[in-house]
Amino acid sequence: MSAEAVRPFLPTLRKVERQLGLPIPARVRILRELEFDLEQHRARLEAEGVAPDEARALSLDALVPDERVLRELGRLHTPRYYTITRHFSDDRVRRFERFALAILMTALLVAESLFLLRAGLFTDPSPFLWPVIGLGGVSCAIIAWEAFALWVRGDSRLAREAPRVLLLMAGLTLMLGLFGALVDTYQVAATPDGMTSLMPRSFDWLVRETALLSVAMVLTLVSGLGWFALTQWLTQVSGAHREVLGLDSTETALQEVQV
Amino acid sequence: MGEKEFDVQGFARGIHELLVLSTLQAEKKHGYQIGIDVEAESDGLFCFRHGTLYPILHRLEGDGLVRGAWSRDGGRRKKIYALTAAGRRHLTGETGRVQEIVTRLMRLLPPPTEAPA
Repeated sequence: MSAEAVRPFLPTLRKVERQLGLPIPARVRILRELEFDLEQHRARLEAEGVAPDEARALSLDALVPDERVLRELGRLHTPRYYTITRHFSDDRVRRFERFALAILMTALLVAESLFLLRAGLFTDPSPFLWPVIGLGGVSCAIIAWEAFALWVRGDSRLAREAPRVLLLMAGLTLMLGLFGALVDTYQVAATPDGMTSLMPRSFDWLVRETALLSVAMVLTLVSGLGWFALTQWLTQVSGAHREVLGLDSTETALQEVQV
Repeated sequence: MGEKEFDVQGFARGIHELLVLSTLQAEKKHGYQIGIDVEAESDGLFCFRHGTLYPILHRLEGDGLVRGAWSRDGGRRKKIYALTAAGRRHLTGETGRVQEIVTRLMRLLPPPTEAPA
């Protein structure tokens, strides 16, 4: 049995969905509420003896929002960010967003560095610590940017790529940390004095490599958690979107998501 | 009253909001039930067509006057609305204001007389 046979209002819901220029969660909530009310109205009319086709038509007429109502719903559910920034041109808003992202990334890098400086990890750092910190800063900026896009701007377009990028960043950070520790160890061991020179400096070497690996692992964990949170949220949102539109799992519901 | 200029359009919109709040006084209801009850209680004078109920409900929810909560009903999700404490206060205040406006209006209009045959 097709989805339309079980849920006769699906074509209408899909049509209304196309007219609602809102973030997916808002669209899903509106459509769920509308479908339940349509079903209730139809059931009530049929119980009163109205023919099924007529009951369906009367329900649609009574409850499906017309253009004016859709505009009003769109206005009510537009993310607050757009109501605040509507007085500025798109170009200005984009420039401001890029500037804010650059500031955020710098702030994250400074915060990371200050924390490591306080922890005394910069006294004799591994040369690999800097790119690891850089990768971590980029990952944190991606997470912050995605959180802003999803929960402030209500735009999920970028979010489809972000989890993959975060996973890649997590892998790169860990690999670079491990690779750096191996190279550092090899360099120390390959000095002319070999292992004999390593012994007196073993404590410094241990601190340096522990710092590198700890920082790499913490930043990998942060990227991993960001990946997990984004993936879970997107799976949940696209699942709800597919369910409300009666699409199967092979059909992509998460297409045009912009406001 | 009288300090502010009377907004006729706002008053008309406010009446719909009051009707929705009023029907939620006794119990929680889902959107469709609210529409049905308003229509029945007003003997068909007020009815919500073409989904006009949804912006009213969502505006009231945004203003914190009603609270919407999702629940399941036979596998389907439904949204149940309940009046909040702020909604109850708003209803009491606005009901008094509407009564005052109607009283003033009736004072301006001539009393109803039987039409000459």
